[in-house]
Amino acid sequence: MKMKSKRYRDPVVEAYMSGVDRTLLRENLKLSPAQRLEKLVGFSAFAATLRRAGQRAQTAKRR
Amino acid sequence: MSTQFDKLLPLLVNGGVEFVLIGGVAGNVLGSARLTFDVDVVYSRNKGNLEKIVQTLKPHRPYLRGAPPGLPFAFDVPTLRNGLNFTLTTALGDLDLLGEVIGGGGYRDLLPHTFVVEAFDVKFKCVDLPTLIKLKRAAGRPKDLESIAELEALLQEGEK
Repeated sequence: MKMKSKRYRDPVVEAYMSGVDRTLLRENLKLSPAQRLEKLVGFSAFAATLRRAGQRAQTAKRR
Repeated sequence: MSTQFDKLLPLLVNGGVEFVLIGGVAGNVLGSARLTFDVDVVYSRNKGNLEKIVQTLKPHRPYLRGAPPGLPFAFDVPTLRNGLNFTLTTALGDLDLLGEVIGGGGYRDLLPHTFVVEAFDVKFKCVDLPTLIKLKRAAGRPKDLESIAELEALLQEGEK
């Protein structure tokens, strides 16, 4: 019996796919790989700043 | 501390380290919108490359991530040769040095499934989208399911 060549689709992944924000992906695809990495660096720094601010706020709340 | 992707990747390239970028940063190169916190690379296991990895990373204090401080961890060629996959912290952030990955094998196995990225004033090899999906599927981690869905969507967007 011949195997079907169609790619396996994981039903869990399929379920998640409906929740993917494709507008974000389309915006990223307009950028070059280098620009995408610069964006990651920016987001990463932003997330670190937020994390530090959150830690400071929690420390202040405990006092 | 957040990982300094813009310093860690050029450091490896300028140190002459042979590696293939995989994981979340590779996902970002390919268009993913998910934030990631570490750099995952599959490195060549040849002796010369192990020496380059040690020379390049040692000044940045590599240490086993999650391990208690003060363990007698020697980041040298024998350690790399005797081990395979290392999850490290460094002064520049978290780095996973992987000798082999499930579903992808080692550096040489992955090479045909890479393309060259030019970023941060250096060039390096990054795994392609179908292979990244394959690696994430093979890893079988529940936390990757959303990520796989996004990568599959990227594949569909690219096919349009």
